[in-house]
Amino acid sequence: MTPEFVLGCIILIIGAIAAGFPREKTYLARLIHLEIPAFGLLLIMLAYDEMLALMTFVGVTAISTFVLVRAIERKEAAR
Amino acid sequence: MDEILVVLFAAVALIGAAGTYFQRDRFNKLIAVGITFGGIVPFIVARGYLDVAIVVSLIVPITTIIILLLCRRRDAHDA
Repeated sequence: MTPEFVLGCIILIIGAIAAGFPREKTYLARLIHLEIPAFGLLLIMLAYDEMLALMTFVGVTAISTFVLVRAIERKEAAR
Repeated sequence: MDEILVVLFAAVALIGAAGTYFQRDRFNKLIAVGITFGGIVPFIVARGYLDVAIVVSLIVPITTIIILLLCRRRDAHDA
């Protein structure tokens, strides 16, 4: 039980609760809350020394955020 | 890493994660995500993965800038 693993699990749980039950139910708040479990998962991967998985995960998170921002922009423009 | 530094950086990361959930304004949420990032990066550096630290330090601000594109378009009242 390294400190990275414990801290990653705590942040992952906080982020999952925040993304699942946000206080203000807008798309933007959910998207920002989705960053927190990404940090938690990054710490857990760091605890297991998975460097390539960590780099891939960070890159894919950025690309998926870009795609989600485009989708939310379309949705907001149509409303 | 020393135990006192582990506790200190873990506290910074947890304050950022909880602050993202409890802040109501969207810019305050983004600033709290930055605080979480500041608590996570010393753990990556302490494990010796400097290349991963470079990648994360490049991609997380880019993600913040992409989300700011979405923040600009929204009205002030429905944060």
